[in-house]
Formats: sequence, C-alpha cells, structure tokens
Amino acid sequence: MFGHNFKCALKTLFKNKVLLFWTFAFPIILGTLFHMAFQDIESNETLDVIDIAIVENESWKENKILSHVFDELEGDLFSITYGSEEEAIALLNDHKISGYLILSDTLKVVVKENGIDQTVLKFVVEEITETEEIMKQIAFRNPMKEESFYQNLYSMIGQIQNENKVELVDISNQNLSYTMIEFYTLIAMTCLYGGMLGLYVVNQNLANQSHNGKRIAVSPTPKWKVILSSALAGYVVQLVGIALLFLYTTFVLHVDYGNDILKVIFLTLMGCFAGLSMGIMIATLFKVSENTKTGIIIAFTMLCCFLSGMMGITMKYLIDKNIPILNLINPASMITDGFYALYYYDTFSRYYFDLMSLFLFSLLMILLSIRSLRRQKYDSI
Amino acid sequence: MKKVIEVKSLTKEYKGLRAVDDLSFDVYSGEILGLLGPNGSGKSTTINCLLSLLKFQTGSIQIFGKSMSPTAYEIKKQIGVVFQEVAVFQELTVRENIEYFCGLYIKNKKMRNEYVEEAIQLVGLEEFKKFYPKQLSGGLLRRLNIACGIAHKPKLIFLDEPTVAVDPQSRNHILDGIKRLRNEGATIIYTTHYMEEVEILCDRVIILDKGKIIASGTPDELKELAKIEEKVSVEIEKISTEKLEEMKRFKNVDDVKYIDGILVVTYQKGKNNLIHLIDYLKKENLQYNKIYSERPTLNDVFLELTGKELRD
Repeated sequence: MFGHNFKCALKTLFKNKVLLFWTFAFPIILGTLFHMAFQDIESNETLDVIDIAIVENESWKENKILSHVFDELEGDLFSITYGSEEEAIALLNDHKISGYLILSDTLKVVVKENGIDQTVLKFVVEEITETEEIMKQIAFRNPMKEESFYQNLYSMIGQIQNENKVELVDISNQNLSYTMIEFYTLIAMTCLYGGMLGLYVVNQNLANQSHNGKRIAVSPTPKWKVILSSALAGYVVQLVGIALLFLYTTFVLHVDYGNDILKVIFLTLMGCFAGLSMGIMIATLFKVSENTKTGIIIAFTMLCCFLSGMMGITMKYLIDKNIPILNLINPASMITDGFYALYYYDTFSRYYFDLMSLFLFSLLMILLSIRSLRRQKYDSI
Repeated sequence: MKKVIEVKSLTKEYKGLRAVDDLSFDVYSGEILGLLGPNGSGKSTTINCLLSLLKFQTGSIQIFGKSMSPTAYEIKKQIGVVFQEVAVFQELTVRENIEYFCGLYIKNKKMRNEYVEEAIQLVGLEEFKKFYPKQLSGGLLRRLNIACGIAHKPKLIFLDEPTVAVDPQSRNHILDGIKRLRNEGATIIYTTHYMEEVEILCDRVIILDKGKIIASGTPDELKELAKIEEKVSVEIEKISTEKLEEMKRFKNVDDVKYIDGILVVTYQKGKNNLIHLIDYLKKENLQYNKIYSERPTLNDVFLELTGKELRD
C-alpha cells in the first residue's frame, strides 16, 4: 500500500503544473534574473586601486605605525607615490592621484574633488588615525612586546581591508562574490517553496480538506501510511527541483557553491525537509481554503527570504546587527547562513548550528501538525 | 435476512443544529435501501457517521456485526463509497484513477487490473480510459466517480446522490450499473432526492426530514400511507371557481386544484374516476388537451407527511 500510494503521489505531483511552476520553474527564472541583474552591479561596484601620494617629510619617516600600515595597504587598496608636497600637489592638479596625505601634528588628507575614491581615502585615514591613537595609549599604559604590537597592527589592517571590500577573506581559495548571498537565498526560497508540496499532499489525503481525502479516509489503508508515503513523494519531487536548480546555477550561471559538496547537499536536504514540514503544518493548522494556504506559504517564504537578504544584502546585516533573534527563527536565514558559514569559515560550528536550527524548526512544525493529523473523525466535513 | 448494518439511536449535532435525530434502522443483505429526503434532511450526514468520518453524540453503528470505527480496516475492506462530490485526481487518467483507488483495497496487481477493467466496463468508460477528468463531460465524470468507488467489488456500497446533475443517458447507465451490482450480491444504500430513482431501484425506502425518519417501508407500503389512490391531471385552458367547487363535491374526490393550466383532481379511492371526470368535462363543454391518470408517488407521500415537496 505504501509503494502504491507513493507511486501515485509521485505521478500526481509531477503532473501538477502549478506545483511544478513554483518548485521547478520559478526558482530557475528568478536565478536567471539574479544573474542578469547582479552581474552588472558587481562589475560596477568593484573598487579599483586608488592612486594617492604621501608627502615623505620627517614626521612621516618618524611615524613607524603609519608608514607600516600604508606599506601593507600598498597594492591592495592604494597605489602610493612618495615625494615632496609640491610633487603631490602637481599630481593632484594633473588628476593623476585622488588625493595626498601629509603628516604634521595630525594626518591630513588633501583632495580636490568629491568621489568614491576620495571618500574611501578619507574613511581609511580616519580609521587608521583612530586606531593608531588607541594603540599608542594601550602601549603607553601597558607596554607590550613588539610581536603583540604588530599582531594588533595587522589585525587593524585586515579590518580596514575587509570594511572596504577590497578583498574578501578567502578560505577556500575561490572567488566569493557577495551576490552569492542572493543565490543562497534563492536556494532557501526553493527549499521553503517545498511547503506547497507538503500542503498539496496533506490536502489530498485528509477527509476534512478534500473530496479525495474523504475517499481515502474510508479505505482500509491506515492514515499514517498514506500521509507518510505522500509526504515522501513530495520530498522526492522537491529534491528533484532543487537538484535542477543546483545544476542550472552551477553549469549555466557558473555559481560556485564551494568545495564541500556533501555538506552543501546535507544542508539542502535539511532545508527541503524544513520547507515540507512547514507546508504540512500550514495545511493542518489553518482552517482556510487551499488557495489561501498557498498564499500563506508564498507570503511567508518571501518574507523569510527578504529578511535573509534576498532583495538586498543590507537586510541580512541589519537583522544580524539589530534583531539577531529573527535570524534564529527564520528558516530562510538558517539555510542562507548555513551556506555562508560553509563558505566563510574554516570551522563548521556555525554550519552545524544552522543545521540543528533547521532540524528543530522542522521538528516543531511536525509536532504542531501531529495533533491534527492524528484526528480520525471530524465534527464536520 | 441477514443484517448488514444496524444503527441504533444515532444522534449528530453540529453548532447547535441536530442534523441526525435519534435514528435507528437496519439494512439487510442484498437489498437496495433508499434514503430519501430533501436537501439538508440529514442523508449525507447519516452516511458520513456510518463511515466513521463524522463524530456523533449518541448511538451505535454495527456493520457486518462489528462495531464501526475509523480503524475497523476489516470492515472498511468490504465497503465501497461513491460520494456526492466527484473525488478523483485531475492529474491521473480515467484508468489510473480507478486503479489507484482500487489499489487502496486490492494488493494483488493482476487481480486489481481485472477489477479495474470490469469497473470500466460496468460504467461504460471503455472509450475514455486514457482521458483526464477535465476532458470528460459531467455525466462521464460521475461514472468515473462511481467506478472509483466500486472497482474493488465491495459487499456493501454507499451511493450518495450519484446522479446529481447527470444527463439522462448517463443516468440510465448509472442506474443499470447499480442494478447489476445488486444482482451480483452487493448490499446498497442509495441516497437521493429523486423519488423516481428510488421507485425504480429501491427495495426499501427510509424517508428522512430534519434528521428524523418520518416513514419507512417498501415503495408500495409507503404509497399506502398517502390518503389518495389516484391522481388525474387535465390540461385545460380555463375553468371557473364555481366548477372547481362543484367538482370537489364529486364522489371519492379528495381535492381539486387548478395551477398553471393544469387541473389536478385527487381521489381517495374508487373505480372509473377518470371516466366520470371526462363525462363531466364533456357535459360542461369544457375544452381540454391532454388528460392522464397516475398512481400516487413518493413525493405525494412526502407531501402528505410533511406538507412540503421533496425538492423544496
């Protein structure tokens, strides 16, 4: 009976055009649009190395911290020409540099016009000046070894580099683009859209939800067998959908999901399970029409994806910074963050945390559904 | 005869409304029992209670001598249900639908295939096996609905208004199929508000109104309950009130009505009523078109018992 029902559920799901659109076609279409949109944005937003000049006066030569910092930033963020103030002014007038630095009592930035390069230069100098001051004070109160001093210095340089997005920390030796977050949310969306499959299979099998459910309920097949086999079929269809999306984004859009494929697959399996169980919960708990339930799933999924950065990466950072609890209960964030953790960190603690959060989310959804799923008789149908 | 179903004091309330009110009845092996009543009389609710789909407040239900419950799988194996609403998968073909529902009862694939073919034949869908439900007409869809419910050859069949909104050709096909099922040994519970179907099919009838049994028996026994024995209808263009009053005083006449150009004279008993009426019309020089005499119908019985028509 289990196999018979599983086979039939697979057949009905694969022939349901509406479900196929949302779980197969829509993510691929959206992925293509992302690719088209972000390809341009990313190339426009890549920062070039900024040409600057530094007036190499006595003050500069005596300040080891600043000269060390700018030596480190040379090539990554700045292309530096050292010389006299007159030479710097001449270069600035000839538009060969964006600005120059001159150290007297304080470090001054001289620019001639406004622009991104000038803003970055000003921002970096402010950061360096502030950190330099802090380090000087710490060294004064608590003299540290030269080694520790330089460790702190390198840490500061790394921070500056990161904050200016010149070069993202790259553990896997791959080129990670920040638009990857968009593709992570796309995967999360596809996982959660599996909720529609969960909704459909439950609706088709419960006597109080559909006519087919009534007919199945009067048959001698135990309810758990019907629900479980149908849900399994829904899961299989969902996995086929997500596999297609992975293949398409990897081979056609050239999205790189990293090297740890097994962990990527495991995270996706758990994400799909979370989506399916969410659909089952909505199907059993909400006493509204099937269309309304579908609407609830779509709206909830889109909200979760929006909060996890689908419509702008800033949202993810804002939530992380201001309402981190939201990311802990948002299944899309759990999936997105899992991918992010796989890519960004060399330890897997954050990845496993996300995996466990997804499992707990799914468990909660299933537990909420069980009471309704176990019901055998109804007040009205 | 052997009891297949035994219902005792079944009461079902929902939101303060008593949908089934202290219902007790038996169904015997091999019979077609008609549950007759207007919409909202409690027919479908009774069926859903019998099938353990609905909770009920009081009463007991025994099917095949055992207490019916949602997990009474041995009983369920022997039951087939055709619901009022068409319950099929739109994504499966005619054959796939029947095969799927049959498969919930029959594990053996070979046997299942034979049963499916027989069901297709019974409802006359041989030419539509590969059609999808949306490609079928309303009548054909109803036939598919029936095939899905009876393909596993159940001993007890519930048919809940299977001919609603069906064309005459499909209706005849369905009614013939039901007779065949009974002839093959099935016990059938047939709910409808079409009295003609009940008269053609049912061995016994229970008339329901507001969740209560108001009468039960064979169709002939029920007709005995009506005061009238004959009903004569005459198509006539015009007739005066005086003449109607005069006709009411005729021997054996129960009532005389003139509605929408039809004169209806009902007689409590007696012979040659029709001849006497024709003689009177000739004598009074009243021109008429058609004239016909009928036995009282179950609708008349219902009217007599409740003061309203079955299809109200």
